[in-house]
Amino acid sequence: MTYNPLLGPIVALVGWSIVMLFWLAIARGPFLRGRTIPDGARGDDLERSNPGKHNWPAHNYQHLMEQPTLFYAIIFTLILMGFDAPINLWLAWAYVGFRIAHSLVQATINVVRVRFLLFLAATLCLFGLTTHAALGLLHS
Amino acid sequence: MTDHPLLQPVVALLAWSMVMFVWMYATRLPAMARSGLDPKTKIGGMAKDLDSVLPEQVQWKAHNYNHLMEQPTLFYAVCLVLVLAGCGSPFALYAAWAYVALRVVHSLVQALSNRVLYRFAIFMLSSICLMVLIGFAICSVF
Repeated sequence: MTYNPLLGPIVALVGWSIVMLFWLAIARGPFLRGRTIPDGARGDDLERSNPGKHNWPAHNYQHLMEQPTLFYAIIFTLILMGFDAPINLWLAWAYVGFRIAHSLVQATINVVRVRFLLFLAATLCLFGLTTHAALGLLHS
Repeated sequence: MTDHPLLQPVVALLAWSMVMFVWMYATRLPAMARSGLDPKTKIGGMAKDLDSVLPEQVQWKAHNYNHLMEQPTLFYAVCLVLVLAGCGSPFALYAAWAYVALRVVHSLVQALSNRVLYRFAIFMLSSICLMVLIGFAICSVF
């Protein structure tokens, strides 16, 4: 079965999000032992009672549920437009690479300046992909 | 491609999200009125500010709606990948429907009883379904 190569970056980033889900569970799990959890409690409540860097993987998981939804949408748009030029494939893989680096920074050292630069770099890739989709629509 | 069976669970979970949307406002707006909050004069603020104002059972519906805007976005992405890659495995279809069913149960638990242990167990089961789908996607695409 041949497939559009732009599907690869989507699968990679979805898979990476599940890695971060495990990371957040492993980081927060020890703080749940021996506690009674009230009905309706959420991750945010855990952060209030146990602030600290073990919440950083969870912050990043939340982040992965935000802007990457735009990435998935625009990649599907480009695929359905048939606009899988190599530049778009590079931008898509670069987006995934920057997001993984962003996760690693946020979950470990969490230096905001570095995190911000990686987020900015990823956003520039998304901006490029979105611009190409818009130009594709205008020129079709 | 347009009648690929994997599109059905995608549409089902989208529709369920709209059910939770209606449930959220059907409980939240009357609760806001009861608590004396007037949305007409309010400026700024975020929905989570209501956690400290409204009864928690009211906010549980909103918590679940917010939750449906999180991990299911991965589910939509991976299902659309499988559709576009032409995946015809019945096991992928079962996993997708199981994901939708578990998310509906997860919504009902969070909106009604909200016992965290049950909610967490259901979330983990649905995450396993998602991982199965990702496994199919990896096999299809790489």
